[in-house]
Amino acid sequence: MATAASSAAIHHAFILDRQELAPGVVLLGFNAPELVRMTVPGQFVMVVPPSGESAAVALGIYEASEGRASVLFFVVGKRTAKLAALREGDVISLAGPLGNGFTLGAARDVAIVAGGVGIASVLLAAQALVRAGARVRLYYGARSSVSLVERERFARHGCEVHVATDDGSVGHSGYVTELFGRTDEPPDLILACGPTPMLRAVARIAEEMNVPAQLSLEETFACGVGGCWGCVVPLAGTSAQAPSFPPPERDGSDVVYARVCKEGPVFWAHELRW
Amino acid sequence: MGARVAMVNARGVDLSVTIGALKLDYPTLMGSGCYGSGEEFAPFVDLARIGGVVLKSVTRLPRLGNPTPRLVHTPAGMLNAIGLQNPGIEWYLDHEVEKFANRPCAIIGSVAGFSVDDYAYVGERLAARAEIDALEVNISCPNVASEGETFACDPHLTAEVVRAVRGVTDKTLIVKLSPNVTDIASIAREAEAAGADALAVINTVRGMAIDVERWQPRLGNVTGGLSGAAIRPIAVLAVYEVARAVKIPIVGQGGIETASDALEFLLAGASAISIGTANFTDPQIPVGIAAELMLYLQQRNLRSLAQIVGKANVGFANAYQYEGDEG
Repeated sequence: MATAASSAAIHHAFILDRQELAPGVVLLGFNAPELVRMTVPGQFVMVVPPSGESAAVALGIYEASEGRASVLFFVVGKRTAKLAALREGDVISLAGPLGNGFTLGAARDVAIVAGGVGIASVLLAAQALVRAGARVRLYYGARSSVSLVERERFARHGCEVHVATDDGSVGHSGYVTELFGRTDEPPDLILACGPTPMLRAVARIAEEMNVPAQLSLEETFACGVGGCWGCVVPLAGTSAQAPSFPPPERDGSDVVYARVCKEGPVFWAHELRW
Repeated sequence: MGARVAMVNARGVDLSVTIGALKLDYPTLMGSGCYGSGEEFAPFVDLARIGGVVLKSVTRLPRLGNPTPRLVHTPAGMLNAIGLQNPGIEWYLDHEVEKFANRPCAIIGSVAGFSVDDYAYVGERLAARAEIDALEVNISCPNVASEGETFACDPHLTAEVVRAVRGVTDKTLIVKLSPNVTDIASIAREAEAAGADALAVINTVRGMAIDVERWQPRLGNVTGGLSGAAIRPIAVLAVYEVARAVKIPIVGQGGIETASDALEFLLAGASAISIGTANFTDPQIPVGIAAELMLYLQQRNLRSLAQIVGKANVGFANAYQYEGDEG
């Protein structure tokens, strides 16, 4: 289904720049020319925190051009706090690009729905679509205007930007899916990344609109490369994305689990079991 | 197997280890369930520079595994509750095993089951394949409701399972023990007497985490197996206790992240080590550990790891007069 990584590797990269876009929202740019060459929109990296943490952090690749890549993340715990404390000139190790990204195909009118930190996984897709001449509408939701980062950048890149905030501080007051669900111009393709309830709502709207949707899922990863089976989601047994394992015959179920890190993180909405 | 990179330097320092009939060029195994089939990690580490991969456990019938979420990161470790998801032995033999034919390291199959017959059946089918160099007998999965650890918690059942698998293959059998028992040494003795060639010490430690906002367990299975640095002292003690109880080699495992950690296990009595959770942070850790072990031996004019196995001087603590008590 989605575009597979041609290959992946471990990269040791210098931090080139660091910006705090909002309190607790950090954009880290680093030099990783090989990673940039290999990345397709929607893929992620496993970043090793500077010290003493027993797991890497999975982050969507936000930017990838001219040798520089970046990740955009919210500080939510110790590991992301350590990444946020990095400074220009520090060295980080990361593995990637990993997972399967978005399939953009020949879509001409695309709606991108992003919730919160989900914005970090959709910029490359938006750029590629605009470059290909597609109309791109971004529906972007966050708790408040403060954490609604980078919306001007999407506008600069040629996206139509529609925003929603939980507290009503800017744009639609309420969920971004309410805003998107109201459109009377169904796109030919929907891409989405954000919290699970948002993705569930996008899947329902896509079904009502009869428009294909690709959802980028977030799960807790351990290995990030398909080795541990810790990050699975249930798919229909007939799904093209299901790993080629036979579904166990249990209660007549045809559910199979697919690994978010390996078969995903991008899945077709109709193949997911909610 | 393909060409190997033997890590023997000009001074004759040799990192190879023999476990039963299994010869490892490096003392580093990759823990079952953590490393897939090895191919997932191949882009990130030279498999010719590790001792071997212990494959994910396989059962007689396909298993869906536990509901999600299956992972929680915890202080200095992680809880997992995968629940032995696997395609079952028939599919595994038809589709998976052939992938291991040309691996430049040892390939160790892992057998799990819910009856003595299951273990014997899966063990025989798996061991019959030339691609599999040895078997790990997983009698200690903590994530299978009521059944998984039963074998590892009962010396008689342990012996029955090991005898049954021993009866169907001459390949090296490594029996993986649980830390979730009162007396691991007695289980180890039974496994040895029943024909185990080596013991893997330890599997994960049972644990639980609760979401205080939602007032519910953070794992779909409620409980899970704790791995990572958090369990290292528990594992070192288990290796030490088992080493005093048996004569067969021990594969030490539980939170090994550095060469220094590996040395603790070797000095406690392990002949080889297995790395699991640390691979998730950096897949190249096993290669670095092997290189540092070699340096450690060189600096002490030692020629092999066997010279340090079980050499922790535990009499020292009793003889030493402490000036202070750290409690």
